[in-house]
Amino acid sequence: MTAEIIVVTSGKGGVGKTTTSASLATGLAMAGKKTAVIDFDVGLRNLDLIMGCERRVVYDFVNVVHGEATLKQSLIKDKRYDNLYVLAASQTRDKDALTQEGVEKVLDGLSEEGFEYVICDSPAGIEKGAHLAMYFADHAVVVVNPEVSSVRDSDRILGLLASKTRRAEKGEGPVTQHLLLTRYNPARVAIGEMLSVKDVEEILGIAVVGVIPESENVLTASNNGIPVIVDAASQAGQAYSDTVARILGEERPLRFVDVPKKGFLQRVFGG
Amino acid sequence: MNAKAEVTDACDLRFGQVGIACVRVRRVDAAALCDELERRVRSAPQMFARAAVVLDLSHLSALPDDGAVDALLEAVRSAGMLPVGLAYGTSETEALAKRMGLPLIAKFRAAYEPAGTTAAAAPAHAEPPPQVRPEPILSAPPAGGTVGAQHHAGSVRSGQQVYARERDLIITGAVANGAEVIADGHIHIYGSLRGRAMAGAQGDAKARIFVSDFRAELVAIAGQYRVFEQIPGDLEGQSVQCWLEGDKLLIARL
Repeated sequence: MTAEIIVVTSGKGGVGKTTTSASLATGLAMAGKKTAVIDFDVGLRNLDLIMGCERRVVYDFVNVVHGEATLKQSLIKDKRYDNLYVLAASQTRDKDALTQEGVEKVLDGLSEEGFEYVICDSPAGIEKGAHLAMYFADHAVVVVNPEVSSVRDSDRILGLLASKTRRAEKGEGPVTQHLLLTRYNPARVAIGEMLSVKDVEEILGIAVVGVIPESENVLTASNNGIPVIVDAASQAGQAYSDTVARILGEERPLRFVDVPKKGFLQRVFGG
Repeated sequence: MNAKAEVTDACDLRFGQVGIACVRVRRVDAAALCDELERRVRSAPQMFARAAVVLDLSHLSALPDDGAVDALLEAVRSAGMLPVGLAYGTSETEALAKRMGLPLIAKFRAAYEPAGTTAAAAPAHAEPPPQVRPEPILSAPPAGGTVGAQHHAGSVRSGQQVYARERDLIITGAVANGAEVIADGHIHIYGSLRGRAMAGAQGDAKARIFVSDFRAELVAIAGQYRVFEQIPGDLEGQSVQCWLEGDKLLIARL
């Protein structure tokens, strides 16, 4: 059995790739899928922090690529879900430490270990690290913020996904593309300060797989090393759960895309 | 990525991009090849006369024998170009190149190896070869028979470029901000144009651009261009056509 490889990418930095990778991986594990999440951002590793396993990194992705450690030694088991594993990036190396053959070896190794999903957390940019993260993907989650520069960069990434991946090069059919809109603020969309879901879908020509509302919970969760999807009370967490369900083939309506209507008491007392 | 640089004190040794044209042979007919190439050399002598070319035999159903390859090489020479080697195909091509004392240009290796190893994929002579497109963005194979339009289905993404050489270009999809579509003939876009469109790229002033949803960054015909910092309100989102009257580039709703 081969694992489904999902790359989380965007082109632009700071749009929420790592937050998304952590939540998608955790969500898939919560759905009972054996999942690994790999940090491709060699030299600027963050995923371990968001997943809350930064003090347990002994061997990393680069060590496995170079044959200095086995895959088993390097996979860090998540403390909340025992079918979830993290492969951290090296902080002391750079992107050139990764090779295409090495990455392929790691992904094949994960398939052999019985992993059903592998999430590749791509670095920003379109250079080597990002290229290797997307090269072997079956699915791509393109993270986009509702603003023009992020949309343009995502467009560029969508073009690369259609040409610079193994599937494209071998003619094995396209990489399935999912558009994930993050940091969405319906109130600012309503007054025209932010692009709407419809605007983004129209410009990029594909439908969104999820809309994650802008929320303080995301920052709090990240700082505490807890993927926000674990916080079932937060809107962002619920929106990520919906997204995971949609990626697994379920149909769910979009939530949190309209300005919340204020209740009677809130209207009277302000809120 | 496979361009490895080997730096020594005395010199730099690297595989880089040099302007070598690739002659993709579709049938073993030296006379026809010579005619075709002569026509190309005449149409753009600065570009093609004494140009270094490699012979790509990977699109033939079977590798021709040494005599036939000699004839093909001679045809290229008599057309005014200089054959410098063979493009990498299968191990047979490699053996052939060895016998002829020609280098194999390895740059093409990645692109042709998968197609070359399966003999079943070889097309029949009369049929145009199937669209093997290692790089789906730039697809401008010259037409063998009729000069029709080139069709690009789907969106042209930011950073991509589509060029229709010596013909019209039809895009069924959007042209994104930062993307470029270029044709020597007309351009038809059945979708939004948010990027750049350049028709009549070789100077045809009669070429036109037709767009069903106009939001362009730039349109140009035969080198006359207009950029849009602000798209005029009466054109934005409308179906428009662009054409040249003298030196003036005009745009109007359809």
